[in-house]
Amino acid sequence: MKKLLRGLFLLGALAGAVYAARGYLQGRSPAKETVQIVFDDGSVRSLDSNTTQGQEFTDIARKLVETGL
Amino acid sequence: MAERSGAGTVRDLDRVLADLRALSEDIESCAVLSGDRDLIFSSHEPGVDRERVGAMLAALVYLSERVARESGKGNISQLRIDAGGGHLLVVQLDGGGVLAATTGQEARVGLVLYDMRNSRGEVEKALAERGDQ
Repeated sequence: MKKLLRGLFLLGALAGAVYAARGYLQGRSPAKETVQIVFDDGSVRSLDSNTTQGQEFTDIARKLVETGL
Repeated sequence: MAERSGAGTVRDLDRVLADLRALSEDIESCAVLSGDRDLIFSSHEPGVDRERVGAMLAALVYLSERVARESGKGNISQLRIDAGGGHLLVVQLDGGGVLAATTGQEARVGLVLYDMRNSRGEVEKALAERGDQ
């Protein structure tokens, strides 16, 4: 019984470590997608990819970057 | 490998874009879309669907123009999209056409845009001689 509990404890600790490492690595991944439009009057509009409008741009751009123009 | 559409020669455009790519080594591929949304030049690898590339580029130009209208602005002059694995850069040409380029994630984007803007006049001239503007 004692061995079983120790095994479960070690298994839980291992799972926790894997989860923490995954979160740490995901937190470090940069690749934030943004859109910047410059108009002819010099003004700039930025769109984040977490907006519907920004996502329309980044979805197409990602494919073009992957395949090449 | 460069591919072209239309009959006449586009040697000047080829030369201008080859010069741009030689000058700006961060550029991985580039294309020119006419004011009529025809793909005039594309440096894509063989096997990539040319029509699809032209349509996607035209869609981006349309989306930009829509944002300009909604923002109460005139035309766009430049578009920069940081798209995960790289960047897509677009510079507007006279006559409604665009010069577009893709780069890797670590590219010096400001410098690439500077070079693209500097090449704009030559591209416009080559298009005008070809009768696409």
